[in-house]
Amino acid sequence: MSPSPVTVRTITREEHLDFVAGRPSVSFLQTPAWAQVKAEWGSESVGWIDASGQVVGAALVLYRQVPKVRRYLAYLPEGPVLPWVDAGADLGAWLEPLAAHLKAKKAFGIRMGPPVVTRRWHAATVKAAVADPALGTLGEVPADVNDAAALAVADRLQDLGWRRLATEGGFSAGQPQYNFWLPLADADGTPRTEEQVLAGMNQLWRRNIRKAAKAGVDVTLGGRDDLEAFHRVYVETAERDHFTPRPLSYFLTMWDALTGEDPDRMRLYLAHHEGDLVAATTLVRVGTHAWYSYGASTSAKREVRGSNAVQWQMMRDALAAGATVYDLRGITDTLDPDDPHVGLIQFKVGTGGEAVEYLGEWDLPLNRPLYAAFTAYMRRRG
Amino acid sequence: MTFELHVDVERWRGHLKSAAERLPGLVPVIKGNGYGLGRDRLAAESAALGADTVAVGVYAEVPEALEAFDGDVMVLGPWRPFLDGAAVEQALADPRVVHTVGRVADVAALAERAPGARVVVEGETSMARHGFDRHELAAAVAALGGLEVVGFAAHLPMTGSNLAEAESWAAALEASQLETTTFYVSHLSPGELGQLRERRPGLTVRPRVGTSVWLGDLGALDVRAKVLDVHRISRGERVGYRQRAVTRDGYLLVISGGTSHGVGLEAPRSSAGVVQRGKTLAKGSLEAAGLMLSPFTVDGRQRWFAEPPHMHASQVLLPASATAPAVGDDVRCAVRFTTATFDRIVLD
Repeated sequence: MSPSPVTVRTITREEHLDFVAGRPSVSFLQTPAWAQVKAEWGSESVGWIDASGQVVGAALVLYRQVPKVRRYLAYLPEGPVLPWVDAGADLGAWLEPLAAHLKAKKAFGIRMGPPVVTRRWHAATVKAAVADPALGTLGEVPADVNDAAALAVADRLQDLGWRRLATEGGFSAGQPQYNFWLPLADADGTPRTEEQVLAGMNQLWRRNIRKAAKAGVDVTLGGRDDLEAFHRVYVETAERDHFTPRPLSYFLTMWDALTGEDPDRMRLYLAHHEGDLVAATTLVRVGTHAWYSYGASTSAKREVRGSNAVQWQMMRDALAAGATVYDLRGITDTLDPDDPHVGLIQFKVGTGGEAVEYLGEWDLPLNRPLYAAFTAYMRRRG
Repeated sequence: MTFELHVDVERWRGHLKSAAERLPGLVPVIKGNGYGLGRDRLAAESAALGADTVAVGVYAEVPEALEAFDGDVMVLGPWRPFLDGAAVEQALADPRVVHTVGRVADVAALAERAPGARVVVEGETSMARHGFDRHELAAAVAALGGLEVVGFAAHLPMTGSNLAEAESWAAALEASQLETTTFYVSHLSPGELGQLRERRPGLTVRPRVGTSVWLGDLGALDVRAKVLDVHRISRGERVGYRQRAVTRDGYLLVISGGTSHGVGLEAPRSSAGVVQRGKTLAKGSLEAAGLMLSPFTVDGRQRWFAEPPHMHASQVLLPASATAPAVGDDVRCAVRFTTATFDRIVLD
């Protein structure tokens, strides 16, 4: 267990990066670079300092202003990075100085998403559950792994006055509570081989990967200049799948911020078939954790399975880079076959990975009237 | 002095048989006072019904059940590491006994204590009594060691329809890592059991039933108490241990059946509606005045106790307007069978 921290203070970008580099992995939403991506929010790097002056915990805090008032919601997406489970009964000693620090920065409330995994469901379990009409949500399915110590963190947060944000279907509030991971290493840390990863996939995935190779789909890495081509396909995907695309400038900013921090933090993958761009994706990696972040594919030439080819290349590269987790990001908790989101789960389940449940997002009101007004305002915005 | 249960055997066994037919896979529950009928008798009836397993409530009931019944004996109350005594030792050593587990630590402890023991894994239903949270099942499986899982159990509440909850647990069982397809369930109607079986063809659904089998046809059971004495009494006369003055002229009946038989023992009732609550209130005020309605029916009506029942007999008031029974007559008595003890059970 880490020694109990004594203070919380603003840390420099360098101190923050040093701390991140010293850990196996932290969420990319907790890197200093993410503040540059979310430039419309104020931001601060915050550190927990022990008696010897060491940084033993860190957070990227994003400040969201309340309309017309110089007060802020302090948001720590997928953070802070703390020894959550090991802190045990001392968790208050870590969180109370944070609250005092943020209050002094005119925060009326804190919202955080402890990067603590509480439960896991293997692919076979999720698959069986989707097929079972009596199981409507992931929460009703017996987890294959239940981390009692991680679950106990929720009780401690409640005792400390934090409130769990309700999630509806797992997607409405902030970061998703349920995510899908493809483990690239065994529980004991032994890296898996490409053959093992491939063998874990369902037949459809394996067949599609083979099909793409046979059709001659060529996957290459792109640079900043290729983001425009990625964006063209991404907009086409957005129209087809009915979501609002982000502007090209968002991806350029993300590229500059993430690669500026570490040249290998963000990658762009392009899948071509006979000279035509058929799929493009972005991969983000911090230490041993790799995230498939954005994906796009053309409506034409779907039969050459460019999207499977590009996924497989990202997985292999993540494996080669020493990643232990290939993160396919959020899923909803619904298992209702009639829910449109279930297709997304089935696609991810096909990789043979596992659904993981996070502790969810939590709020600590620091100024009750303002916090109440803010939550009412957010509810109205929907 | 006799406080007797007369069983119309033909009718009772007819009911048992039809109940067993409506409840395929039935595990008869034989616990406590044997529902007033006696545990040994129920064990014999279970064997006659062809049951391969009976369920008892606690470990103290195991040795007698093993003696009286040739098949498996399942213990409904979970095994806990702090349980000790000869009955527990015998149960742990006997391969015919099936234990219930409901906590990860207990599974590990039992696996160490009695490797090879047979267990039923229980889920914590909305009863919130004991059992595993569904997310703990994987940890339970990991702790099993050499234990043999013979089934999964869900003990459901008695109100309303439990089919949805039963099915949710059945689905949880099928999606879990537990290597069993036997699902023990309580408090489902025969119709609900049928629906559950239809929706879960992969599972063997086995109902565990006590009351609705043994006491499902109360018409076959007749409780008779003997009138031991009949005294004329006048208003103001003092009677009984407490020398309380009676309020009306009439008769004082001395009837067999007292606290040792379970007469006058009450458990809190679940009062469903306003009327029931009103009745309870009205009764409460009479009780406050020291009067309580007795379970004895004399001359067509339930009569009041003159004072709290004695150990083996009760003193009951009968107004002068009623027809008094003769000494030696039988009167009917309404008992709570799960708390009743009879001097004699007569199979008619």
